[in-house]
Amino acid sequence: MATEEYVPVTADDWYQRRRDDAEGRFFRRVADQGPRKGEGGSTRQGIYCLTADGQLLVYKNAGQNPEVMREALRQGLREWRKLPPQRRQPGAVQVGEPDQIDPRYTRTPPRGGLIVNVFTRILDHQDGELCRGTCRTLGGNQAARDHLWLTEAEWQSLVPADPRPGNGFPLPAAIAERLLRFHLVDNTRGEPPMWRREDIRSQLMMLTVEEATAAVVRLRLDGFALLATHPDDAQADRGFDVRLLGYIGYDRTRKMINRFEVVAVGDHWGEGPFTRGARPGRTPLGIAFELADGKSAADRVPPQAARDLRSYFGHDR
Amino acid sequence: MRSVSRLLILGAAVLTGGQRASAVEPIRPEQFSRLQALIKPDPNEDKWTQIPWLTDLWQARKIAAEQGKPILLWEMDGHPLGCT
Repeated sequence: MATEEYVPVTADDWYQRRRDDAEGRFFRRVADQGPRKGEGGSTRQGIYCLTADGQLLVYKNAGQNPEVMREALRQGLREWRKLPPQRRQPGAVQVGEPDQIDPRYTRTPPRGGLIVNVFTRILDHQDGELCRGTCRTLGGNQAARDHLWLTEAEWQSLVPADPRPGNGFPLPAAIAERLLRFHLVDNTRGEPPMWRREDIRSQLMMLTVEEATAAVVRLRLDGFALLATHPDDAQADRGFDVRLLGYIGYDRTRKMINRFEVVAVGDHWGEGPFTRGARPGRTPLGIAFELADGKSAADRVPPQAARDLRSYFGHDR
Repeated sequence: MRSVSRLLILGAAVLTGGQRASAVEPIRPEQFSRLQALIKPDPNEDKWTQIPWLTDLWQARKIAAEQGKPILLWEMDGHPLGCT
């Protein structure tokens, strides 16, 4: 129904409710027709069925519940069909180009950069092995998604100028910090709090050249980190004691990264204001990184932490 | 590889200072693929990702107008395709 009967689009309300441009104003004009008017800058999140010229047909605030979503879609179609046929015909509404785009609240992947898909999932122990975890929060056992962005200069810094098998060197500091602060987070139940710089209590991430030929360079990443909101992790209300292993491939002919696969597994504890319902105590959490081709709209969705772009790219040091 | 392992152990000892030692076992290479598969979504796990979502409301307006369709906008705090 969403694919056949509608034009489906997703957005992050944090940007949409703030952007001062044609798209932002259009969205708020639609939202103002419903119950979520965003008083005091508050959220307008939800499911909206609307017309191209900005009439709200249906609003529901329950994006994660499939049945609520389906009912909203059915109700939206009923409202749509009540409109005069001449308003529903293809081409009946003219939509021009937006007059401006607010650069403060739009994000595009860095030119020449790398997009890495990031998946996070709660895990459990069973018979001495890790398995998929269970929790009481609706959808909290599913894989959560995010994206890691690296600039062209950053991914180039991963490849040594003279790679020799066996040689090791630290993961470049800017990349290490981004991974740790913004991507080793528990976003399985909602918007996670990011780690402050001082929350990185210890870490070491080393790259080792496993193979270097005229065609390829293959690197291995080994690492660990202790992230905690208190210097004594036993007193920290939130933390992550984590190990990492990964493999990075560089195509020397095409001069591009062709593999970026990292797994991080460790014991996570605590929760944030928007991630309530964490399992008690320290429980296993897994995070997997893999290269995206950047062709789909989903791949180009900005990292959650890129709302503060200066901080994300370490320009606030 | 051995030298890196030694460095990691040394680093753990040095960098953690007064912290408690990590209770988490290092990930072994033979565990890698299994852990990846465990963490990543199965192809049919998130059926909503099979919908060809746009991420530009203005573009959605233009397509909806051209095709004579309503728009479904799924808007959350935290992008539905990028957070949670």
